[in-house]
Amino acid sequence: MPVKLNENLKYNFLAADEPPVRDERVGGCIAYCGSCSCLQGDFKSGCAQAQNRRFSQSGGCQLGLAVGIINSLTRAVTIIHSPLGCCSGLAGMAGVRKTSRLSRGLPVEEQTFIHTNMDELDVVSGGLDKLKRAIKYADEEYHPEVISIVNGCVPGIIGADIDAVVREMEPQISARLVPIHCEGFKSRFVSSGYDAANHGILKYLIRDPQEYPQLTEDAQIKYNFQKKYRTSRTVNIFNVGSNSNGDEVELSRLVSALGLIPRVVPLNSTVDDLDHLGEAALNVSICATHDDYLLGHLKERYGTEYLLDVLPIGINCTNTWIRKIAAHFHLEKEAERLIEQENRELREAIAPFVEELKGKKIFVGGGETRILTTADFYKSIGMELVGIKAHNLDRFVENLLNDIDDPNLTVEVAAGQPAEELNTLSKLKPDIYIGHAGANGWVTKLGIPNIPLFGAPINYMGYSGAFELARRAARALKNTNFSKNIGKHVGHPLTQEWMDLDPNDNIVQGSRF
Amino acid sequence: MGDFIERSKFSCALGGALSTIAAIPKAVPIVHASGGCAAALSGTYNLSAGYRGVGYCGGNMIPTSNISQSHIVFGGEEKLVGQIESTLKYIKGDIYVVVTGCQTEIIGDDAVSIAARYRDQNVIGVNTPGFLGNTLRGYDAILSALVKGIITKKEQKDPKTINLLGIVPGHDVFYRGNITYLTELLAKVGVKVNSFFGDGESVEKIKGYGDASLSIVLSETAGQLTAKQFETTHGIPFVTTELPIGPKASERFLRLVAEKLNIEKELVDQVVEAETKYFYSYLERIVDVAADLDFQRYVAAFTDSYYAYPIVDFVSEELGWIPHFVSINDIQDKKKQEAYAKKFEALTSRTKPQVIFEDKVGLAKKKLRASWPYNHNQKYYDALGPLYIIGSIVERDLANDYGAGFLTVAFPVSNRAVLNKGYAGFRGALSLVEDLLTNLVASR
Repeated sequence: MPVKLNENLKYNFLAADEPPVRDERVGGCIAYCGSCSCLQGDFKSGCAQAQNRRFSQSGGCQLGLAVGIINSLTRAVTIIHSPLGCCSGLAGMAGVRKTSRLSRGLPVEEQTFIHTNMDELDVVSGGLDKLKRAIKYADEEYHPEVISIVNGCVPGIIGADIDAVVREMEPQISARLVPIHCEGFKSRFVSSGYDAANHGILKYLIRDPQEYPQLTEDAQIKYNFQKKYRTSRTVNIFNVGSNSNGDEVELSRLVSALGLIPRVVPLNSTVDDLDHLGEAALNVSICATHDDYLLGHLKERYGTEYLLDVLPIGINCTNTWIRKIAAHFHLEKEAERLIEQENRELREAIAPFVEELKGKKIFVGGGETRILTTADFYKSIGMELVGIKAHNLDRFVENLLNDIDDPNLTVEVAAGQPAEELNTLSKLKPDIYIGHAGANGWVTKLGIPNIPLFGAPINYMGYSGAFELARRAARALKNTNFSKNIGKHVGHPLTQEWMDLDPNDNIVQGSRF
Repeated sequence: MGDFIERSKFSCALGGALSTIAAIPKAVPIVHASGGCAAALSGTYNLSAGYRGVGYCGGNMIPTSNISQSHIVFGGEEKLVGQIESTLKYIKGDIYVVVTGCQTEIIGDDAVSIAARYRDQNVIGVNTPGFLGNTLRGYDAILSALVKGIITKKEQKDPKTINLLGIVPGHDVFYRGNITYLTELLAKVGVKVNSFFGDGESVEKIKGYGDASLSIVLSETAGQLTAKQFETTHGIPFVTTELPIGPKASERFLRLVAEKLNIEKELVDQVVEAETKYFYSYLERIVDVAADLDFQRYVAAFTDSYYAYPIVDFVSEELGWIPHFVSINDIQDKKKQEAYAKKFEALTSRTKPQVIFEDKVGLAKKKLRASWPYNHNQKYYDALGPLYIIGSIVERDLANDYGAGFLTVAFPVSNRAVLNKGYAGFRGALSLVEDLLTNLVASR
């Protein structure tokens, strides 16, 4: 019997300045190389969670993910309280944000961001004066609705109290101030950054919505009734930074097809949208790893029921996703009709791609929930799944993990760590690789054709996303010259000694984290 | 003390260090910091520097000690030792550079001493925490360490060899192209260039850089520390000048080098004449369209000091455009600001530009607006136009607001893919003209 993913997890952290990191709140495995059946056992016994690696490479930082959420909000200014490097990647991202907003039909705003530019003196003094001036500057120059203060490692280690600054400045500032604690050194799990941002949203940004009384009693009754009805049919779909507008349109279409009202939040939202978050009958996550903290706390606050456990990727998982939403509203029959029609149309449409892809070997790497569902899809259309690699593994995928029926499937757990991945890939020799940004370049250098798992213009979720998964993979195999050439002429920096190693030999038990 | 910065056009010292290491052939960084620093900073220069890529061992391939909570308390030196040893075994490299992040520097790990234990295996250590400064500081930290630590001392100098400094990889999006153009140009007057990052360079060659008889620094804010290190460690004097763009600037550059290295004037004259002729044999092609479509523009430049004067000098002195406004983001010292602003007095354009020093983008924009009389809805208004904005991707919307022509030259550049292009010298300037004018005819 599958367990509920967040059984026993508590959602009562809003009194604290910052959320507990995932290491404490959820736990999980960050290093594993082995077969699927071994992992299933080791994960249950807790051994997998106690592993670390000897030779390690750069992974991610929770700060980047937290900023991804908080910086997407409409009319927001982000202040990075840190030296210049943290989030320096924002320098070249203005166009990406613009395109993303344009694709959603949102007003395009030129967004600024501020670094407090902490230097050696600030390491001693805390740099809070600069931070205060930066907050004032942002408010006066841009009149944003949100000013978020993102805390980097330096203030985190020296103990600079940004929460006190926020409390002190709040009366003087018209924007809503939100401190975000996402110091990179604090967590081995980058997903802590999601909680950090969501903690800020929950604690500082969501306020009681403004209600304006209607002018007549009749109008008020009508208004109240409409609102109650609307709320009873509204489904909040919680988007993630990596999903495209195509994904949001597709998922909204499916929810609408059940006669429900979809609303996509919280990324790209205004504070007004956030204030009205509670006006929904059901909150639906598209990635449990991303959202459990937010949805759990919204349940505490508004009593809104939520769905965590399915990612609408591929045919089977999208079917389940629809069924679960429909069940909440007792729309089982409607759901089956919808699923039947959608599946029929989709299977017809992907038939030519299935023909191309059948029997081809595939390896999938990326975030835990995505890769397991994506792998399931490619397997379901007849491809041979040779391995998967997850950034980390935690309770949110335990069910998906247990569903894998190939005990010998190679499973790697590593955030980044391309050395381990290239080692594995050179042995498995897949025909095609699909993976997270940052990995595909190295895989190309190994000479293996590949496509990115997701991306701003890519529709990945829902039935149309499944169509695209098949279509993109088939397209990539139409001409593989690029990876062949790069593999031959560029190569990678790893030694033969490493490539001959069993990557599992690099994994150690119980080293200090 | 630096103030806060709006839309910073820099990463931190560690970012600059990683970008610099990525440009040295077969150099491998080992980062002693938290797990995310290396990949994120490397990513900045992958995506915002004309898509230069992560390089030989960049991005998430970078060996990192992955410092977390418990190391902050108990220290991370042990972790670094393991990391160095395994990197030596598993990553092929000609040099391994241990660089540090904020976390390990604050807790006092001595990464440089640990690296020194592996000196015989080509490992050196450099302190590069983010709070040390910006990208340029990281560049100087790495190069100074190489100059001090791995470049062999040579008593016998080669009178015709120079070290070229100040071209910061990644931060100068066109660093490879610029180095190539300058190397080829100097070769024409018999000068050999030590460039660290150019075609055909290697760690082995870098070790021999002690034979140069002059360092030329092309920036006021980068390369100065390295040049001083060359001076103290190897007795090589240095001279600071500008990145030469176009015939006039390149001629000045050549004559400066010739003077310092005692190259005969006739040779320089010959090269200048031939190269100027070459430049105009191509520039001639756009004469008709430039005249028929009236391509003269007002120019506002928003760049660092490395590009500001060279670019404005080129469009003013060679193309006859009107230098109106220059905003520079990397000089904080008041005296240095005055000295830099003074350079623009040498322009022969009747209009001299207003020069400001500003690293808050919003204020720079306001100052541009204030630099020209407002439109009071009068019948006849002498507008600031046609305008051409030369800057970074940060100024794209500003250019839109003014209906201005727009070219990204300074970091960050995310709207162009740059491979071997450069703007330096006589020949690189032709590429600059191509790019400036392409944007003016793009909609035709």
